[in-house]
Amino acid sequence: MSDYFTTDWGAMTVSDWAGLILTVVIFVLMVVAYFQVFRPKNRDKLEARKHIPFDEDIEDLGDNDGGK
Amino acid sequence: MEATADRLAEQKYSFDVVRWFTIMAVVYLVVGAAVGVYIASELAWPFLNFDSPYLSFGRLRPVHTNAVIFAFGGCTLMATAFYTVQRTCGVRLWSEKLAWFTFWGWNAVIALAVITLPLGFTQAKEYAELEWPIDILIAVVWLAFTANFVMTIAIRKTSHIYVSNWFFLGMMVMIVYLHVVNSLAVPVGMFKSYSLFSGVQDAMIQWWWGHNAVGFYLTAGFLGIMYYFVPKQANRPIYSYRLSVIHFWALMFGYVWLGAHHLQYTALPDWTGSLGAAVSLAMIIPSWGGAVNGMMTLSGAWDKLRTDYVLRFLIIALAFYAMSTFEGPVMSLKTVNALSHYTDWTIGHVHSGALGWVAGISIGAIYHLMTRLWHTEMWSESLVNVHFWTATIGTVIYVVAMWVSGIMQGLMWRAYDEYGTLAYTFVESVAAMHPYYAMRAVGGGIFLLGAVIMLFNILMTVRKSATQGSLRDARATLTPAAA
Repeated sequence: MSDYFTTDWGAMTVSDWAGLILTVVIFVLMVVAYFQVFRPKNRDKLEARKHIPFDEDIEDLGDNDGGK
Repeated sequence: MEATADRLAEQKYSFDVVRWFTIMAVVYLVVGAAVGVYIASELAWPFLNFDSPYLSFGRLRPVHTNAVIFAFGGCTLMATAFYTVQRTCGVRLWSEKLAWFTFWGWNAVIALAVITLPLGFTQAKEYAELEWPIDILIAVVWLAFTANFVMTIAIRKTSHIYVSNWFFLGMMVMIVYLHVVNSLAVPVGMFKSYSLFSGVQDAMIQWWWGHNAVGFYLTAGFLGIMYYFVPKQANRPIYSYRLSVIHFWALMFGYVWLGAHHLQYTALPDWTGSLGAAVSLAMIIPSWGGAVNGMMTLSGAWDKLRTDYVLRFLIIALAFYAMSTFEGPVMSLKTVNALSHYTDWTIGHVHSGALGWVAGISIGAIYHLMTRLWHTEMWSESLVNVHFWTATIGTVIYVVAMWVSGIMQGLMWRAYDEYGTLAYTFVESVAAMHPYYAMRAVGGGIFLLGAVIMLFNILMTVRKSATQGSLRDARATLTPAAA
């Protein structure tokens, strides 16, 4: 089992390091995105945006409250 | 109220180019599907080759794939992207001239493909067969499309960019990158070039492009369509906007890793294929999140499916999306891949995604667009219903035939007797495929029949609009006060 988790750090090339750093950064960004999106405080702000395709029609008809 | 809003939109936005892209998309659907049925029939009844190199499977197969992916799919994406970006940003297209350049340029690419591929001019790269001069034209036209879309977003009146535009934009950026890198080649003549890459690197680049063409062009772009057209057709906002945000970022970050799963048991390092398979499995989560998000938009209004044929297309497409995004990761696992790879199972998988998901969501969006762009109801609602059933039944017959055929192929190829020799010759496995190849041609034929019905119905709708003068009326001045 330990073979699977052993890395020869000295043999890492520039490409290996670039790939590793990119992977870790993307993983961290995904975790941040997950917490931001599902944080209860942000719920109303984000969910209000789902009305955009309908707001357009209502605003065009002169209803300035955007259908809310 | 909606009809009035559409009439106002007619005056406010630039829809002529959208109308042309919409019509051409359906024309290419018929052409692409017809070539597909023909080559499927060639496999079942080889005399259809007529000993002509121009009609051989090897030359017509890329005509089929290019016609359905880039001609039909491309025109659908361009029509819907140009339509939705205007309606969700509240502004006209940044440049109408650039939009027309995109239309004529893209159609020129398609015409050149139809001429050069049967003549045998090819780079022999899957989904990227066209020779280098056409590749350059594709890059120029795609950049024009992207620039116009980005600039329209830049001049928007809304503060937030609606999620459908994120998906379209993600597709555009990634396709530039993928197409340019995969097409890097050394030209040795006007119609001959050699890839800049060789050996296993070439294979890796090919499938990095190949799978991401599926991930960003055939998935992200069509999810952009889903996030606008499903809510609009259902007349309900998307179930969860938060889920759509996570869906977007997970798709963008995850999909680029998957290409290596096409190269299991090859010269590619073993860990690369394992990584591709592991990320493929992880991608089930955002893919199903997106599919559920689309379907749950109908929560509390499922009865709409009983009467709204267009909505049926959109929702059945999401069901196929969920199914094929589960099947794909399963097929990428080494154990399953050992059975499935190089067999017709892959063809069945591809077509459950292409016919069920891509064509289904496109057809639903095009029917939605027809009534908004020509300001009249469809010439025949019954024919839309007939189309729904022919498309669904045709797809199911096709996919089931290929599943059975593919699994049987895999089992026959690996079977061996008590002495350790192969139980079947390759020719025996080919002969065993015949009933399923005939069944596939029938399924494809039924799907093609539906596409012909659709083309007839939309042309009659355009004619009806011209007779009624509905488009002309919509273009006439109409102020919000008058509405």
